[in-house]
Amino acid sequence: MTQPPRKIGGTLLKVDGISLAFGGVKALSDISFEIREHEILAIIGPNGAGKSSMLNVINGFYHPQQGAITYKGATRSQMRPHEAAAQGIARTFQNIALFRGMSTLDNIMTGRLLKMKTNFFMQALYWGPALKEEIAHREVVERIIDFLEIQSIRKTPVGRLPYGLQKRVELGRALAAEPELLLLDEPMAGMNVEEKEDMCRFILDVNDEFGTTIALIEHDMGVVMDISDRVVVLDYGRKIADGRPDQVRANQDVIDAYLGVGH
Amino acid sequence: MADLFFFLEVLIGGLLSGVLYSLVALGFVLIYKASGVFNFAQGAMVLLAGLTFVRLTQILGSEHPWDGMFVLALAITFAVMIALAFAVERVVLRPLVNQAQIIMFMATIGLTFFLEGAAQGVWGSQVHRLNLGVSELPIIIGDVLLPPLDLVAAAAAAAMVAGLAVFFSRTRIGRALRAVADDHQAALSVGIPLQSIWVVVWSVAGIVALFAGLVWGAKLGVQFSLTLVALKALPVLILGGFTSIPGAIIGGLIIGASEKLAEVFIGPLVGGAIENWFPYMLALVFLLFRPQGLFGEKIIKRV
Amino acid sequence: MADQAAAPAPVGDPDDTFSKLLRRNASQRGARPASREKEYGIWQTWSWAEVEREVRALACGLATLGLKRGDRVAIVGDNRPRLYWTMVAAQAIGGVPVPVYQDAVADEMKYVLDHAEVRFVVAEDQEQVDKVLAVREFCPRIDAVVFCDPRGMRHYDQSFLRQYDRMQDEGRAYDAAHPGFYEAEIATGKGSDVAIMLYTSGTTGTPKGCMLSFDNLIVTARNAAEREHLTEAEEVLAYLPMAWVGDNIFSLAQAYATGFCVSCPESSATVMTDLRELGPTYFFAPPRIFENVLTQVMIRMEDASWIKRRMFHYFMNLAKRVGIAILDGKPAGIIDRLLYALGGVLVYGPLKNTLGFSRIRLAYTAGEAIGPDIFDFYRSLGMNIKQLYGMTETAVFICIQPDGQVKPDTVGTPAPEVEVKIADNGEVLVRSPGVFLRYYKNDAATAEAKTGDGWVHTGDAGYFDGDGHLKIIDRAKDVGRLTGGGLFAPKYLENKLKFFPFIKEAVAFGHGRDHAAAFINIDREATGNWAERQGLAYASYSDLAARAEVYDQIRQCIEKVNADLAADPKLAASQIRRFLILHKELDADDGELTRTRKVRRSFVAERYAKQIGALYSNADAIDIEAQVTFEDGRKGMLKAKLKIAEAHTFAPTDTVRRAG
Repeated sequence: MTQPPRKIGGTLLKVDGISLAFGGVKALSDISFEIREHEILAIIGPNGAGKSSMLNVINGFYHPQQGAITYKGATRSQMRPHEAAAQGIARTFQNIALFRGMSTLDNIMTGRLLKMKTNFFMQALYWGPALKEEIAHREVVERIIDFLEIQSIRKTPVGRLPYGLQKRVELGRALAAEPELLLLDEPMAGMNVEEKEDMCRFILDVNDEFGTTIALIEHDMGVVMDISDRVVVLDYGRKIADGRPDQVRANQDVIDAYLGVGH
Repeated sequence: MADLFFFLEVLIGGLLSGVLYSLVALGFVLIYKASGVFNFAQGAMVLLAGLTFVRLTQILGSEHPWDGMFVLALAITFAVMIALAFAVERVVLRPLVNQAQIIMFMATIGLTFFLEGAAQGVWGSQVHRLNLGVSELPIIIGDVLLPPLDLVAAAAAAAMVAGLAVFFSRTRIGRALRAVADDHQAALSVGIPLQSIWVVVWSVAGIVALFAGLVWGAKLGVQFSLTLVALKALPVLILGGFTSIPGAIIGGLIIGASEKLAEVFIGPLVGGAIENWFPYMLALVFLLFRPQGLFGEKIIKRV
Repeated sequence: MADQAAAPAPVGDPDDTFSKLLRRNASQRGARPASREKEYGIWQTWSWAEVEREVRALACGLATLGLKRGDRVAIVGDNRPRLYWTMVAAQAIGGVPVPVYQDAVADEMKYVLDHAEVRFVVAEDQEQVDKVLAVREFCPRIDAVVFCDPRGMRHYDQSFLRQYDRMQDEGRAYDAAHPGFYEAEIATGKGSDVAIMLYTSGTTGTPKGCMLSFDNLIVTARNAAEREHLTEAEEVLAYLPMAWVGDNIFSLAQAYATGFCVSCPESSATVMTDLRELGPTYFFAPPRIFENVLTQVMIRMEDASWIKRRMFHYFMNLAKRVGIAILDGKPAGIIDRLLYALGGVLVYGPLKNTLGFSRIRLAYTAGEAIGPDIFDFYRSLGMNIKQLYGMTETAVFICIQPDGQVKPDTVGTPAPEVEVKIADNGEVLVRSPGVFLRYYKNDAATAEAKTGDGWVHTGDAGYFDGDGHLKIIDRAKDVGRLTGGGLFAPKYLENKLKFFPFIKEAVAFGHGRDHAAAFINIDREATGNWAERQGLAYASYSDLAARAEVYDQIRQCIEKVNADLAADPKLAASQIRRFLILHKELDADDGELTRTRKVRRSFVAERYAKQIGALYSNADAIDIEAQVTFEDGRKGMLKAKLKIAEAHTFAPTDTVRRAG
């Protein structure tokens, strides 16, 4: 968390000619784009355009039939989820995937699991260096709790929280891994205006304070235009546009896709 | 007065055997919590552990309990149970990841027959005596007779449960286990390697099975009927809830105590031998009124 | 203590400002905790010695910004130790803090910053800085804005922005370069200097900047602390707005005068949790908070297992019967005492513990009337909660209920050195060491609020009862007279009525009439639930409101109020003789209530003139035809026949005990 002020840099992740099919159904065909360091990239498109599939490919839930993923200079044909996590890719889900029985604090602590180094037996005994390490991780987590302003729900089981707060906890868990690339799948879905504003502020602050690169899927065009540096537009599993928000907004294909013309 | 002592003796005896039911139930709960799989093979694992151990002591030539060869046999059995966990993860769980629960359940039934067959195929099917070196002379307090083996088993089980509780609630792996139990996908996304977690869980369940195998083996002799012990764990689970470690303990105690009390005090009135079905009746009644068990999580589906 | 009542503030008290008190505390109890704040989930503590160092660095830092004696420093944010220290630091070098409500919108903030001619603003975080920046162009006098929390501030490059920590660093350097500066500055300050400016909204007009001196705050705070035997061991949670006079007294003046530690919550959302962890010994809350807590307890008890519920109700009934007597040191049976002690272990203790009230030695409530049931609930648990009466212009304390003599409908006896008298028109007048200096740049308002010889007009009507306790009945301007000469205090009657759960709103009439009468609005939920339990079928709110059974219930409520009134010689004449239950709820959408849900008396009187006329006739019913606004915005006419009912009145009972 010691990044200097953000400045969009070189390519952090590149997907190249990705195609993904489930049985005979093509979810993604020949998608290529890149995510640059420290930017906020929005992936937009009508329902069923393949946006979530794209995120799932990036963090290894789906394995594409064709194409390559280049992340931090290393090229591979597919990711595996826990490798992606270990390499600094964290994510949130469209339908919140929190550990409902656990408290906010414990949920965010799970985000630290990969950062924990002490061995199994020390952990089992909860003693010595393990205890010290636990305290250090707890401190990081407390800073995140402070950052997201969720102190009041620290000990509350997340299953009991309202939707908007669950989304925030999920973001907190992703942040706990101190990711380089943060994938947010519809972080503002189902939120009211005020919750959306809060979430926008947190996303911008994360990007700004920690220099985290963010790729997000969002439906609210206002939000997308406001916070993203670049926009990739998918439609029926194909990429139809890629550029700055104002460029994308003026793109005829995008307008057609959103108005349902030409298909 | 004598009646009171008799009652106490039955009650304590029941509670002590209840501890042993708890042990088996615990194995179920661990795996169910971490993977949502009802592991039908838990009983077979008890048999495998007991049989492997007792045969190893014979092969290695252990003279008396707790000599060097006895400990070596214990260590090897320990290793076998952990190897089993690795094998199960690799051969059964990994290929079936993301399949429906019922399919996983069927797979554990298959595993049951495999383990039972393999254990008896390798080690034979005779009944073996197992001596843990615990005196068989009952301890007498007042007029109450207490079998020492049960006491030792109860104490050891208590220690084991306390250790597991700390492990689950306080450690990183414990937290990871709970995370996996809660939401597989989310657990993957924070970088929890599901496979390793399954290995850990099955290993712990294997160790619990080993422990149960030793104690039950010492009580009943190591033989095929050890697998039936698993059936006794069912009412315990229904009572305690499938997801609760304390539930497994309390459930075991209740089942143990009530079946013995029922046998002694109600049995004669209805012609005896109710010990065998009483726990199931109790579980049935429980299902009607509190299907999630004493401590199980309430099943609330959000719409 | 009575013989001190008229004594002036001790002359030449060496510690007559907060910075001097801080110096004293740092030397006398340097290692004891002074400030506490929960951050990152952990309580961080600063001792008095550490606080002195912080304040010293801050004061010098403010000096480097160019703060001169008399300059105003606005403070805006949640309760934070750093903001309290900033107030003391500004005062140490002659600055005048002007705390601003942290939830003030930009317009309100603009008014205060502009009117107070603020030169410096110390803001908690980005949110507050943004508001200041939004109004800065209208407040050209602002020279610098200091922010405590740097989060989100990275891209703010305005030259007048300063980070709190940096300013403190510069202050330390300045201090090193100018030895003796700080000491000389605090020696210059004296008790009669302006300590603080607090903007009070008042009920009408624009906010006024009430200027209070160190003597006002410190003498008043110390007097009250002595009367209540506060010590340096008190624990206090500062959670009410810093711009409110009470917080200045409880969390600053009394803390510095007595030397106790003040803790700040982690955030405004965690107050209840922090309260529980901290377990304060001295606590202030407005009635609304006590009411909310009680409601939560009741809701949780409804969900508890039946054993718990039975136990709770059994012991709460016991507490109701004997708890208050035991708290007040009055006689109670030995069996009851034993049971009460058992209840302490089983119910009261655990309950107070979950609420964070287990260590409370002294709790105050004030601001508005507290329902007697709520008040008694806490007292019966053994919590010494008392009402006090005060206002910004008197540095809070006017009257406090004395220990052991708490009467729910009075505000107690005058605080030490406070003189209270009742003007001919019934208004309460106060003179005390706490009486404010003046309103800033508003001599007209000052002259209106304060007489030349130092009496403050409270604007409240009240009188002393037979025991010398002050009873506040209403705003002075609302109090009227019956034709028989008796006092008529509509708010007093309405509040008493509204304490009954069945009654949502009440409007009392009587000024210039021969008796009092009232409109009642039933509470939809409470009355509806009751009706369901009675097996009473009803089609709608207006149907329910017209039921004879409901009228009976309301009559009983009114008669209880009348019985109470009969015991009060001044108000006995204003017992309610006739009432009607309105067919609809008074509604802000219909203009009958303000947006803050206060009855617009004149509007109601006009709209319902016919009904009021009927109350003062012999009619037993009146037709009504009213325009209503439906939920979807349509308007429609509602026709109904409203019954008018009579309630018993009682002969005055308290004519014997009179003030001596």
